[in-house]
Amino acid sequence: MTRSLLAAVLVLAACEGAGGPRSLTYYFTADPRSLDPAFSTDVPSGELIATLFDNVTQFDADGRLVPGLATRWEADRTGAVYTFHLRRDATFHDGRPITAHTVRASFRRVLSLASKGSRTWTLTPILGAAAYAAGTADDIAGLAVPDDSTVVITLEEPLNVFPKLLAMPASAIVPESIGPDFSERPVGSGPWKFVSWSHDDAVLLAANAEYWGGPPASDTLRVRIIPEPLTQAAEFEFGQLAVVEVPFSETARWEAEHAAELQRRAALRALYVAINTRRGPLQDVRVRRALNLGVDAGTMLRNVMSGRGVLSAGAIPPGLEGYDSTRAPYPYDPAAARALLAEAGYPDGITLKLWRTQRTELARIAQAIQQSLALAGVTIEIVERDASSARAASSKGEADLFLTDWYADYPDPESFNYPTFYSKNAGSGGNRAFYADPVTDRMIMRARGTPDAALKDSLSRAIDARIFDAAPWIFLWFPADLWAERADVTGWEIPAIFNGQRWRTARRVP
Amino acid sequence: MTRFLAWRLLVVLPTLFGVLVVAFLLLHVAPGDPVQAMVGERADSATIVRLRAELHLDEPLPKRFLLYTAGIVRGDLGKSYITGRPILGELLHRFPYTLRLALAAMLLAVSGGMLVGIVGAWRPGGWFDRIMTLGAYLGVSFPVYWVGLLLILIFAVQLHWLPPSGSGGLAFLVLPALTLGMRSVAVIARMTRAAMQEVLQADYIRSARAIGLGERRVVLRHGLRNALLPVITVIGLDFGSYLTGSILTETIFSWPGVGRFVLNAISKRDLPAIQGSILFLSVVFVLVNLVTDLVYAKADPRISYD
Repeated sequence: MTRSLLAAVLVLAACEGAGGPRSLTYYFTADPRSLDPAFSTDVPSGELIATLFDNVTQFDADGRLVPGLATRWEADRTGAVYTFHLRRDATFHDGRPITAHTVRASFRRVLSLASKGSRTWTLTPILGAAAYAAGTADDIAGLAVPDDSTVVITLEEPLNVFPKLLAMPASAIVPESIGPDFSERPVGSGPWKFVSWSHDDAVLLAANAEYWGGPPASDTLRVRIIPEPLTQAAEFEFGQLAVVEVPFSETARWEAEHAAELQRRAALRALYVAINTRRGPLQDVRVRRALNLGVDAGTMLRNVMSGRGVLSAGAIPPGLEGYDSTRAPYPYDPAAARALLAEAGYPDGITLKLWRTQRTELARIAQAIQQSLALAGVTIEIVERDASSARAASSKGEADLFLTDWYADYPDPESFNYPTFYSKNAGSGGNRAFYADPVTDRMIMRARGTPDAALKDSLSRAIDARIFDAAPWIFLWFPADLWAERADVTGWEIPAIFNGQRWRTARRVP
Repeated sequence: MTRFLAWRLLVVLPTLFGVLVVAFLLLHVAPGDPVQAMVGERADSATIVRLRAELHLDEPLPKRFLLYTAGIVRGDLGKSYITGRPILGELLHRFPYTLRLALAAMLLAVSGGMLVGIVGAWRPGGWFDRIMTLGAYLGVSFPVYWVGLLLILIFAVQLHWLPPSGSGGLAFLVLPALTLGMRSVAVIARMTRAAMQEVLQADYIRSARAIGLGERRVVLRHGLRNALLPVITVIGLDFGSYLTGSILTETIFSWPGVGRFVLNAISKRDLPAIQGSILFLSVVFVLVNLVTDLVYAKADPRISYD
């Protein structure tokens, strides 16, 4: 019995292929949902799709919108009609050319999969796209292809972020006819070709030597799936991973031991508590301001997050137009908070439920909020649930307070006010505060529609200032990303936006 | 024997049906919405309503249970809400990894644990026995998470003897197997020691010694065989639990087994994936128990299933 067990173990064991000097290893925390761009709603699949596919437009590592399959594009004076001029030398990895017809077919495909749960919102601003997705129209009225290298898109209404929506994973261009196993063995046109995917284990990519933008500096890119942050750190120290995000709990040690290898970048991410502005006392702006005054965010940022971030005085993070560095955050002032609560008619304080998910980082923040607010007369009951239940409760408006964060979908201030504060996006659309203010709504729609960049900039500031005053969030901080890079790795930087790193210049210098 | 087997396999069916009903009901009264995880952020409520309808999530419970059971009877565990891939394929892809890890951990636990237990019982109170009793005590007490990370730090990061995590050759198996098997080593050592000590007091051991049999033969042939029954029970139970997924060990060592699949499915409320996994793992557990019973009969001729 024992001998056969041993034999079984030995037979099942396979040899590990050693990575050469021109190979790179990176990691994800979770297995990608699917490699079919239409179903890319998670960060891992978005990151991989950026390496495997091309979009009409795309982001560079600094978050700037740069040419992709389109070499240039322009909007008409109304801002509702966009013309994209495509390059003629782009082909898929199997050799098929990419034309304007491919782009149209690709967009139609995403919309036609709506009933299967595809991500459609990047394309629904196109005139007639929503009807096509719902199955009530045979064609997308606003999508025209006058010749092989031109795509003319007419929108339902002017929308200046539209070229950025086309850079999102769900808008990636896929071949016209694809096999049934496309989500597992994708064929794209990006700088990397798909080789293999072993679920929960690793994805292997090989350099596309024929890439129109030039081949990547390395030959292979292996992406391992490593769920545990401390294991990720161990793999980095062991020498396998080229780069690693420093675990929050390890910040001080890494700053001491790996100082030369560290990279920092302000993340396009806001950590906040959504205050449900429809519930009881929370409808009163004085109560919401009292909550902001009663939370000692500065101390929490230092103690819980090792100072990895900047306190927020609004929802738009630094690095985006509309960020106002001159506006001061709510000060920590429990006495003022008590006074405001009394003024609002709650001299004996209030009791609220704070929902949170099971992320360890959030657990400590929730506790700190609870302690902090107790001094201001607010009793917090923490409700801990798994992410799915907590989000469902928040979407239905059942949570008083919901501790969460918001990541930019694309680098634009609009990504921090339209989903999060526009009244029609209440609940699962991203507006977890159920904030509804007709003036803010009008300002947001105007900022989205105007083709005038300066006007958009000033409107974004004004919207953020107005939201700061109305306090539908407890504003905490904008986290900073902290990554370590092996000493022999060059050509890599922390991307400003999750799909802005295509691994084209990264390599190990022997 | 054949009749016993057939009977046991027949009895399994109602058990599995019970598992199916309980799993189904529990999941459908638990809070959380799979559609939220499917659509990600920024989905409008119309999309959510449409998808719920598509997945029959708003139909009455009995109807949904019938739909689901009908699939099971045809051998179809359904498709994942999140990835769209068939559940059975996902489980069959991951099960060999779990099996490999479970076998390695069990091999370690059985050989290490029984050796320690036998030697301890042979010379109770000796220095080896005392060190090993302490070791077994610690082995049961240390949390898996802590042991796993410690092993990675020592043997991978510091000494560079073994890879920290992942799957591949035999080298990748050592640390997770040690982590997973450590508790069983301790439990089996203590069980073996206790059972052996009792057996070694028995009259027939004295007789065996009296007729001049060698000490090795006395302990191993006459002692061990009689002490084996409780140990087999422990081995069967532990092996069953290893095979049904070791979430912590698989997570720490990035091991692509069924435990992580189940964990992911639960966190995303991927109902077909959770139900399919529970059913699949119940079958595995029942089969392991059956094998354990058969081994019983082999070890103790007094037990007969005919």
